[in-house]
Amino acid sequence: MTAMLYDIRLQLNYEYDSPVQGGRHLIRVRPGSIPGVQRVIAASLTCDPPPTQSSAFTDFFGNGVTTIAYSGAHEYLDVKLTARVMVEQTMPPADLSPTLIELRTEMAEIWSVAPDSPHHFLAVSRRIPSDPEIATYARQIMAPASSVFAKAMTLCNAINADFAYDSEATDVETSPAEAFALKKGVCQDFSQVMISGLRSLGIPAGYVSGFLRTNPPPGKPRLEGADAMHAWVRVWCGRTAGWIEFDPTNAMLAGPDHITIGHGRDYADIAPIVGVLKTSGSQEASQSVDVLRLE
Amino acid sequence: MDTNTEPSGTDSPLTTSLIADYVLKPGVPDEMIAADGSVRPGWAALMAAFDALGPTELGARFERADQYLRDAGVFYRKYDGAEGKERAWPLAHIPLLIDEAEWAKISNGLIERAELLETVVADIYGDNKFVERGLLPPELIARNGEFLRPMMGIKPADGHFLHFCAFELGRGPNGDWWVLGDRTQAPSGAGFALENRVATTRALSDVYAGMNVHRLAGFFRSFRDSLFADARKDGGRVGILTPGQHNETYFEHAYIARYLGFMLLEGEDLTIDNGQVMVRTVAGLKPVSVLWRRMDASFVDPLELRSDSRIGTPGMVDALRNGSIAMINALGTGILETRALAAFMPRLAKALLDRPLALPEIATWWCGQPSERDYVIDNFDNLMIGPAFSTSLPFDDQRGTALGSTISPEHRANLIERIRTHGADYVGQEPVQLSTAPVYVDGKLQPRPITLRVYAARTEAGWTVMPGGFARVGSTLDTAAIAMQRGGQAADVWVVSSKPVDPISLLPKDGDKLERNSPGSLPSRAADNLIWLGRYAERCEAIVRILRAYNARLAELSNPDLPILQHCRDYLASIDVDADEPLPAGLLATIDSAVHSASQIRDRFSPDGWLALNDLQKSTRRLAERVRAGDDATRAMTVILRKLAGFSGLVHENMYRFVGWRFLELGRRLERGIQIARITGWLTDPDAPDGSLEMLLEIGDSVMTHRRRYSVSAGAQSAVDLLVLDPLNPRSVLFQLAELGNQIEMLPGGNDNGQLSPAAKAALQLRTELVIAEPQDMPPERLETLANDIGAVAGLIASAYFA
Repeated sequence: MTAMLYDIRLQLNYEYDSPVQGGRHLIRVRPGSIPGVQRVIAASLTCDPPPTQSSAFTDFFGNGVTTIAYSGAHEYLDVKLTARVMVEQTMPPADLSPTLIELRTEMAEIWSVAPDSPHHFLAVSRRIPSDPEIATYARQIMAPASSVFAKAMTLCNAINADFAYDSEATDVETSPAEAFALKKGVCQDFSQVMISGLRSLGIPAGYVSGFLRTNPPPGKPRLEGADAMHAWVRVWCGRTAGWIEFDPTNAMLAGPDHITIGHGRDYADIAPIVGVLKTSGSQEASQSVDVLRLE
Repeated sequence: MDTNTEPSGTDSPLTTSLIADYVLKPGVPDEMIAADGSVRPGWAALMAAFDALGPTELGARFERADQYLRDAGVFYRKYDGAEGKERAWPLAHIPLLIDEAEWAKISNGLIERAELLETVVADIYGDNKFVERGLLPPELIARNGEFLRPMMGIKPADGHFLHFCAFELGRGPNGDWWVLGDRTQAPSGAGFALENRVATTRALSDVYAGMNVHRLAGFFRSFRDSLFADARKDGGRVGILTPGQHNETYFEHAYIARYLGFMLLEGEDLTIDNGQVMVRTVAGLKPVSVLWRRMDASFVDPLELRSDSRIGTPGMVDALRNGSIAMINALGTGILETRALAAFMPRLAKALLDRPLALPEIATWWCGQPSERDYVIDNFDNLMIGPAFSTSLPFDDQRGTALGSTISPEHRANLIERIRTHGADYVGQEPVQLSTAPVYVDGKLQPRPITLRVYAARTEAGWTVMPGGFARVGSTLDTAAIAMQRGGQAADVWVVSSKPVDPISLLPKDGDKLERNSPGSLPSRAADNLIWLGRYAERCEAIVRILRAYNARLAELSNPDLPILQHCRDYLASIDVDADEPLPAGLLATIDSAVHSASQIRDRFSPDGWLALNDLQKSTRRLAERVRAGDDATRAMTVILRKLAGFSGLVHENMYRFVGWRFLELGRRLERGIQIARITGWLTDPDAPDGSLEMLLEIGDSVMTHRRRYSVSAGAQSAVDLLVLDPLNPRSVLFQLAELGNQIEMLPGGNDNGQLSPAAKAALQLRTELVIAEPQDMPPERLETLANDIGAVAGLIASAYFA
């Protein structure tokens, strides 16, 4: 088993129409080490202009959060992350997952609300309310598959086949219902529709934020979403199989090309940056991502 | 305690006429008449006193209580549409009497309960051992909207999650008290309990004095002292965090802030500086150490909690993480209000206390468990069926909760199916059955269902329970009609003793060390509102004076096309007042703006001032419906002017001359300076029509002074001399600038050892110009720019103190 070594560069840029008189932001872009999956060798986050105050903490789901605050006026904000991450190349899992009925029984035996407990990932969340149309679609698609893993894989492939990747069709505020009606969108939309469908059947599912390797291995096609931050889905496939990650944007399991920043119930839990600004104007946002494999 | 040592009447039940005519509802326990037909302690004395007063006097007494509440401006906000309306506080005039011995049981039971709730919430946001031990199902937490994940693992700065709780109690058919709901999020009503007491005792002072009723002040005093003690350790302030004037109980927030001497703060008054909560005051940022929040937790921080909150403070959760602020109650404690949690309280009490709670909650079955779900479906007709994660009290929740037997057949089948497939979302609860207490209707007593709201506070000596509270009284015998939003009433609760009780007040006792709270903590938002209140009130006066002069001439000259009238109309149009309307909408809007500014600083000025302003608004609206142009409007303007003067007088004569008053005064002086400069420029213009100068002197209230000081008839120069440059005329521009300068220099940083603030410099510069100017130096063009220069001083004050 080999490991892949990546150098990651992320730049988030915000230009404000009128100078902002101060503000406060939470930034969740720094990847963390996950035993058996990835190891962060070095990571550094810088902000320009330099914030008046800055601190860091780990949130409920274990994601690293940087808090920055500005007291003076500023017209732009640049956030830059550089990181070197080693990703383990693991074998694709064998399907050890139970049936849906067995999954329910296994859930009932889990007396825990620890951050990884599947109980957090079954209920509707703020960005993913229940949606009867997605539920019907998901039920029909997944009906033939018997195990939870097979069901998730089927839904992952179906969304990939039925939806067009279109970065103009949606934005970060687009709801799963809207994306589902359009059958278009980007990784965030694909992932939130898949999560909505899984939860409607009683399968715990969460949202993963991360990066994709920019240039494909020789002879392989470039993956969708490689030029921006990426998102995919983690699914609780029962006690034995545990959490397994699916990438509906690319119809695959997350693998050595996926570098994880963190996860939550939906986009809101792991949004790269959230902020409250003292301003009346609007803002222009852009991002650039480079994920280079080091030989 | 011997409960039979009643001052009078226990042994002779049904002797008084009010009691004799009181007809109970069969099978329902009553608060006045016990199950055996005897009169409960205290009631006989109260009813004997009522009988002695007689129906006429009693009616007058009750009217006195209502009058007090109206005068004090006690209201709550009723929501029937999108915008709530202010409603008079519905006082049920007869207090609810509860015997001291029975109260001791309630009180001890609630303390035991509060301590158990503290243990439970500390575990939920701590180690979650209770889930691991099977005492709490994980879904109840993980799926709960009141479970605030950002608060996980954050230990409260002072070690406790709960400091102030309320409990809704009802007396069941067997005569025992039951808990209908625990209020741990941000319980309301303690201030209303106080006002109920004041109103009731005002009506019944002689009766109250003779009845050994426990006082409420001691409870508030010990809670206040414990919060101040907490804050003093950190050198910070104590604030009440309110969602603002649109909240249902904003009046109460302002009332408690005033009563206990806490700052009344909104989210935007606060900022987080290096992990410390600071309040923006006119003297800069000042630390806050204790926040008693009256805002639901999820709105407190838009950054880490509800991102759509417009009333929170970004970074508050970070400050809590730093342990720099004590939050009363901790964010996340609302989870204890979850209805389904009631199903697990018996199990928790057994595991943690090894005994059932002395004051248990109504029986609850959570349908997330197979056997409980089956029980609810089997007993569907006899249970209240409702949402498991709701935090509202069962009888307050008309939409979501209903008795099974009242649900229509088609809905019933669907609901049962939902309970089978999504059981975790539902609870079944024993229907609420309440006792009755007497209300006074048309000279007779009638039984009405009641619930009791009781408050517990954590003090340095542990939990203490308010000896009283308030009772909610139904408007009919139907228990569902008990919520005040649907026409119920509130009654004072008297805990009666057989022995004299200690009188306690908030005032310090002899020998107490006098502690002055440091002033100078006027929040910037309050200062901003005070300036605008001063400005709007003054602007109203300016408009009214011009309208009066205009209408007087209109009546006299009876030709609306005369140049002086046209000139006047043009001026009014330039300040958005349409003189063709007898009582212009522009004037009403200015009064509304004054009321709006005032309503945001209810804690800052006297109830009398507030009433005067409301009276002004109401009277003007009434006049607007019927006033005609000319003479009628002239008289109306005189009435409005008098009411305005009444308001200004009440506020200026009664307000403590500190920072708050200064801002109000600044607003008044700024606006008057601007208005006089502008109208003087307009009416002294060489092209102004005949009669302009007389009109100016009349508007400037200076006709007589002019006659005395200048032996000539009014000329532009003498008018400018009197209304702009005269240092002794309280309506001149120079007079305003002098006062403005004095007040600005007394503001924080206004004059630091001779170093003047930019606003003080600007005011001094204008003042100096006018001191040395001659009337010919003040042509209309300069007067117009002078008005703008005064406006610029207002801008400098705003950027120094409100930014």
